[in-house]
Amino acid sequence: MRLITGLLLGGALAATALGVAVSQSRVDPATGAQVPATTTNGTAAQLAARRAALIAARQQRGGGQVDWQSAVGGLRQSGGVGNSLAPNLNQAAVDQTRVPILLPVDETLTAGARLYSFGDYYTITADAPGVGISLSGTTTVVPLPANTPLNIDPIGPEGATSQRTVDGQLISFTRYGVLYTVEVRCDAPTDPRCADDNYARGLLAKTTAVVMGSAARAAAGLGG
Amino acid sequence: MRKLLLLSPLVLALALGACDDKTKPAAPVGGEVKTPASPEPGPPTPEDVPTDGGAEQPSSEPNPPASGPPVQPANPPAPSPATFNHNAPGVMPTGQGHGYLDRTVWSPTMCWPLQDDAFANSQVYGHGGGMGPAGTSQCDSANYSLPWRDNFCEARSRANPLCAGGGTGHQGQDIRPGTCKKNLHWAVAAEKGVVTDVGSYTVTVTSSAAPHRVYRYLHMQMAALAVKEGDTVNAGQKLGKVANDFGGTPTTIHLHFELRAGVAGVTTDGKAVVLHTFLPPYMSLAEAYQRKLNGGTCS
Repeated sequence: MRLITGLLLGGALAATALGVAVSQSRVDPATGAQVPATTTNGTAAQLAARRAALIAARQQRGGGQVDWQSAVGGLRQSGGVGNSLAPNLNQAAVDQTRVPILLPVDETLTAGARLYSFGDYYTITADAPGVGISLSGTTTVVPLPANTPLNIDPIGPEGATSQRTVDGQLISFTRYGVLYTVEVRCDAPTDPRCADDNYARGLLAKTTAVVMGSAARAAAGLGG
Repeated sequence: MRKLLLLSPLVLALALGACDDKTKPAAPVGGEVKTPASPEPGPPTPEDVPTDGGAEQPSSEPNPPASGPPVQPANPPAPSPATFNHNAPGVMPTGQGHGYLDRTVWSPTMCWPLQDDAFANSQVYGHGGGMGPAGTSQCDSANYSLPWRDNFCEARSRANPLCAGGGTGHQGQDIRPGTCKKNLHWAVAAEKGVVTDVGSYTVTVTSSAAPHRVYRYLHMQMAALAVKEGDTVNAGQKLGKVANDFGGTPTTIHLHFELRAGVAGVTTDGKAVVLHTFLPPYMSLAEAYQRKLNGGTCS
């Protein structure tokens, strides 16, 4: 069981970092001016600890930078299978993507997949009968207020989290310093594939193929 | 696992049946072009009985009782530019869950996502909702009047790490259109972006600009959308009409509006975590609506 094994491997790596902190407007209640996050709950020590952990999360692995060395390792491990998995992906979109693209090793799923790229963010949409699947990757995240702890348990070295959505399951994890997601969305609200995260975790387990277009290869030092 | 405990015995049995690690996902068929499952649009039928009580979940999955205090106390009221009649964010009547009290405007320049005026309130606890006053209709004027109210983190069974208690709660904001008529009022794009997914009752727009917020629109008239997957849309561009589509069974007539992004935070036990999750849209909506009231346009 991949996630349990990951749990045993432990917490330090689970605190994976992405830290391109895009500015968000927070408002000083007295002046209306934009201010950093306030501290309104918990002891000072607790808040300081949370902040330290948050800062560590942002700084780890280069503060929002892709861990290209690991990504190239993943690319080599996947032996070029990624490119053959999804021959119909828009090559211009692949080349534009500045993060390693992950694909599930499942040709029937990926053959018709569509890639939408914004450079530092991509999402791939694919279909299976009665189910839609989205795979995304990004180096851009926003910081939550330090006084707002999250009720969720990241598991394993990739800090995997599962969330039940209105229409499916959403798994987030970090690999190569990138925040990735695997999302399953069921057409029928009662579809058992969306009732728990087993189906989504099955997809995650086989999402091992790495694809890099020209922008990613250049950033990784592999040449365009 | 915590979520499984909240499921009904029937659903739990189904779930456990699929819990074997050896279970392989059903063989997907790549390249299939999905056809929306919703029926052809008919005339407005505002008295459709919502089979889910407006809860956006099967009746076999009951709402969990509200538990635990909010994750942080209310800040003093911020001088928001939104001055129309709306409740403060996170304010929720007793027994309906604990609202999320932080006042961060997570999408500070977004476009009001409907073409017309509308009413943000609760589909479940309002008139005609599954937990609303008995014998009432979703078309009751009480649902179509101010003030707005926030229902992010309202008691629901779905995951929401920002919510107090067990980490479950409503993942977006329910918005009733200007009138209790489906297939009439347009929903529009909140930001410039791309329609990255169209489901049986969902439309996803991913913003072109960092941090690439993801907006999800639920329960539109799926058989007559104005967009398709892959379309590039501008802020304010028509997407579809607000309806009650919910995978073949009707919910109440409303737009479930979701705002997501990649976030970096800390768990309740102090572990750093990075994930894609739901952000409270209420203040962003309120300020966008105020901009519309002030004559602003989306561009």
